[in-house]
Amino acid sequence: MTHSFFAGASTNSHADEPQLREYRKQIESLPVTMRPSLNHQLADWDMLFPFEQKQVTAFLHGLDSLTPAQLAAITRPLRDLETKMGVEHWNFSESGDTMENASLLARSEYYAEWRRQVQQVFEAINNNARAEVPVAAKPARLIVLVLPQSLPVDSPSGGKQWDSRMTEFSITGDTGHLCELLLQGHDDVPGIGSILAQDHSTSESDLWLLDADAELADLLPAADRHSACSLNYSLLKPFRDRFLAEVNRVPKNLEASDQVLAEIRREDWDRWWPANLPAQPRLRKFVVDLFLSGNGALIFSNAFVEWAASEALRRARPRIMVARFGLRAKPKPFTGIAIFENQHTVNKLPDVDDPQGSAIDAAILARYIWLAAARYPEQDQTICLCVSEFRNRGCLISPQGKSPDWSHDHPASVEEIHKWLAGQMAV
Amino acid sequence: MDESRRGVLKAAAALLVDHWATGPRAAFASSSQNAEVGRKVIIVACGGIRREDTFSESGLHNIPHLYRDLMPNSAFYPFVRNSGVTSHYNTTSSILTGNWQRLDDWGKSRPSSPTLFEYMRKRMGLPQNQTWLISSNKALTSQISASSMRDYGPAYGANVVFPKQLLINAVVRAAAEGRAIHDPYRASVQPEIEAILNSDNYDGLGWSVSGDSSSLDALTLGVMQHAIEDLIRSNSPVTGDEFTYLVSAEVMRRFAPSLLAISFSDMEVAHFGSYALHLGGIRTVDRLVYELWNQVQSLPAYKDKTTLLVLPEFGRDLDGSTTNGFFNHRQNSESTRVTWMMCMGDSVRKPQIIEEPIEQTDICPTIARLFEVKIPELPGKPISGLWL
Repeated sequence: MTHSFFAGASTNSHADEPQLREYRKQIESLPVTMRPSLNHQLADWDMLFPFEQKQVTAFLHGLDSLTPAQLAAITRPLRDLETKMGVEHWNFSESGDTMENASLLARSEYYAEWRRQVQQVFEAINNNARAEVPVAAKPARLIVLVLPQSLPVDSPSGGKQWDSRMTEFSITGDTGHLCELLLQGHDDVPGIGSILAQDHSTSESDLWLLDADAELADLLPAADRHSACSLNYSLLKPFRDRFLAEVNRVPKNLEASDQVLAEIRREDWDRWWPANLPAQPRLRKFVVDLFLSGNGALIFSNAFVEWAASEALRRARPRIMVARFGLRAKPKPFTGIAIFENQHTVNKLPDVDDPQGSAIDAAILARYIWLAAARYPEQDQTICLCVSEFRNRGCLISPQGKSPDWSHDHPASVEEIHKWLAGQMAV
Repeated sequence: MDESRRGVLKAAAALLVDHWATGPRAAFASSSQNAEVGRKVIIVACGGIRREDTFSESGLHNIPHLYRDLMPNSAFYPFVRNSGVTSHYNTTSSILTGNWQRLDDWGKSRPSSPTLFEYMRKRMGLPQNQTWLISSNKALTSQISASSMRDYGPAYGANVVFPKQLLINAVVRAAAEGRAIHDPYRASVQPEIEAILNSDNYDGLGWSVSGDSSSLDALTLGVMQHAIEDLIRSNSPVTGDEFTYLVSAEVMRRFAPSLLAISFSDMEVAHFGSYALHLGGIRTVDRLVYELWNQVQSLPAYKDKTTLLVLPEFGRDLDGSTTNGFFNHRQNSESTRVTWMMCMGDSVRKPQIIEEPIEQTDICPTIARLFEVKIPELPGKPISGLWL
């Protein structure tokens, strides 16, 4: 392994074409089944979030710092496994992740073992990288989950213990006012956009607003809008409708599916984007990837909010995220059996809201967002607040030693909540 | 579901089966040609359902019929493992063949070892109308009816029918051609369903048999049109599993097959992230299995000679998994791999809970033993708790 390219480069995530070429060479030294996802990331380097670029760079830095003997030792079990799996006889794409790749791997009787081995190689190389990188400061993080008034949710936690640190409490005042306070600030307490702006290490993907309806974006002061990743299901409707029609062309055939999906990725979607997105190509790419990864993001607004939040946490590790759920309609006749269809196109009958069903969906999906956040080391610095506007109740997970004394008997006003959260984020 | 609506669906199901029974296709011989074998087995596979949402303290309210009405008379197996590929086509093929199948998930290829259908038809000399697979699940294809094995294959395959596909195709085609359903009665769906019934190409529906002619006779078509008009006019949610059940019930009445495999899939709406609709799908299956058991008791061809096996194909992923929890079923976890099975009827030795873990590949040798069909050595073994 040559160390020249990485010498002195540390984990600077900037990469020009010669650097990317060098990265690709590095990737060729890895077992075949590890290459597609890394090559995929390099192919879309400029569309990666800063966190992802740093992660890939750090990994490749760790790889470069291994001696050939060390790398051979780390990867030997996986290479042996690939031989047993017969990977060399597969139609396996190295340039990017495909449905066919996923299917070939999942059908192998060694699939579970393969996943373990890949994980071990990644961990070994990442550990090597970490050993050489100084520990960075750990800023506070905030996740606010909103179950709006329209959802009859009794307990914001859904009766589940999300985390051993979780506490539930009552809220006085208008809970629906909390997002406005958080985003705009009040009196001498700043809004979250202003707090982030004071930290010069903040990146453009540090503030995410994910909304089932179109409520949050307008609350954000104009000065903060350009620096936020703001997505809402309602405003994406023209794009979603068009995209869904394309996705429904995907045939029941693996090879052809990959072709159609590649076409969808390449398609020019410019005229379908809502007004605020054309200037954010990285966010547009995020949405395309999100919709192609399924999980209901194209179909149900609450699934969109949950899956977008999970993917944003995985890919961007934002400092602040506000996710607001909403109502979905009942499935209409005939779309109940063909739910992947656009029910507005298939059936012009007016929508009928399903508040009870939406509340059940939102309650579990809010917890899923916390569970997604809890997978990453940043959870130690993360405050998670989930509020039910319907019952004026909240549940809070806060870092060790930083819990306020709110409870059912000691309710908090929305102003107090805002002030406390702003104070934690400003530290 | 209201009674008038159910009546409409029932009529549609009866007409479909009528169409198969009276058509010129030899494979769909009339009931008078049935081979009378004593024993009947019905396998019901219920998509991806977690134990947590069914047989657990927090899940029992989703399965009142299975738990209160059926379990007390059943042999219940609380630990049933799916050690194979946790996709629909592979799992169903594995249950039917007794070997873990590792096939294209989308049903492009036939199972690589003989199915129960083939063993039974070859060894017992059964006609095709004695073995059926009726499925709501669009992940299955007609390839599942028989293996690619030379001495077996399609000549010994089962009738495979996807009733839900009939309705889905009608809706999808109308949408794709830009003919949205503008009026409250959605009458534009009607010609689509009729077109599919009249089409020569049954492959899209996953039919395993082909015939010289696939047109409906004028009388049947007239009644069918009337039924579809009613179906469309009734304007309440249609569940695919409801229709699959009604077609299955009609097949039982007309053909009394010795082996009937039914797969339900309403609960697979979980893939789209609605937990409420997923639980609704579980409750529908709970009700339909209960009705199926009552149907067994009401039909002389089935009463006192039927074994009913009900099991999820697999669970679903754990909350907090990187695969997004209940949405999917691809995690290598107990939540995804370990489910349950309930056996009722003729061959149950006594109501009991059998805690000894079993594998889904044990089901094929168990059913073969029930029918006294000799099969080659398989990885699984017949399960305990049944008279075999």
